[in-house]
Amino acid sequence: MSSEKVFVWDLPTRLFHWSLATSFVVAFVTQESEHWRNVHVIAGYVMAGLIAFRLFWGFIGSQHARFADFWPTLENLKTYLGSLLTRHPKHYVGHNPAGALAIFALLGLGVAATGSGWLTYQDIGGHFMEELHEVTANGMLMVVGIHLIGVVVASKLHGENLVRAMITGWKSKT
Amino acid sequence: MRIVLLVLILAATPVFADTPRDFLNRYEKEAGAAGNPTRGGQFFVKRHGGEWSCSSCHTENPTVAGRHAKTDKPIKPLAPVANAERFTDTAKVDKWFRRNCNDVLSRECSASEKADLLAFLIGQK
Repeated sequence: MSSEKVFVWDLPTRLFHWSLATSFVVAFVTQESEHWRNVHVIAGYVMAGLIAFRLFWGFIGSQHARFADFWPTLENLKTYLGSLLTRHPKHYVGHNPAGALAIFALLGLGVAATGSGWLTYQDIGGHFMEELHEVTANGMLMVVGIHLIGVVVASKLHGENLVRAMITGWKSKT
Repeated sequence: MRIVLLVLILAATPVFADTPRDFLNRYEKEAGAAGNPTRGGQFFVKRHGGEWSCSSCHTENPTVAGRHAKTDKPIKPLAPVANAERFTDTAKVDKWFRRNCNDVLSRECSASEKADLLAFLIGQK
């Protein structure tokens, strides 16, 4: 692998990523107890604010932060997943189509989970809204799990450290 | 045709058709003893080693609205006589017993504790 470096993730994208991950973990560990209800609600507000920012940044951010850069199509996704089984998996500098799908799923579920959580906190929607909140939040947990597996698998397949790239913003060009 | 209609009506019947008494019966059966309303009332206002009792949020009178001990948000009355929605949905009852018992007792409530509590709440006038 060449040692040439390429800048991929701008600072706002990286800050968003780790802040969202933190707010999700906080919301998750405080879910079961009324003792932590205030912390849980604050984590939800933070998460909603972060997602609002990301939706905005997806249009005006730097190249690889923009939705247009990684909009997943069924065709892209098939080609990419198929190439993972070959000796030469298709490489993307920005988000690969599978990662892109996880991002849109997380943003969508995040909107639904924070929205239904806020409505529940306002006593609107009753038990149905509680259930919707749980289903969407558990959906997020599932996508996060798939995302983590994807990060490990893609890092190995492409011989790059995706976690470090999301911290420093730089990837080795291959 | 009539059978189809009947099936449709049954399928459309809400699954939360339980009554508070159904819950009492279920817990009494699991506990193997009748619920004791006096014991349920004591259980309700007593602290169980933690910071809160049930009454910390639901007040000592379950026929009136309570207030969340942390967020100060209003909580609808717990006694079925004051709030007909209470103890009519198994999923909701199971979930909130699990959450609230863990907050108050740091464990799940036993079937006999739940039977006592239901006997106490149903006995409210």
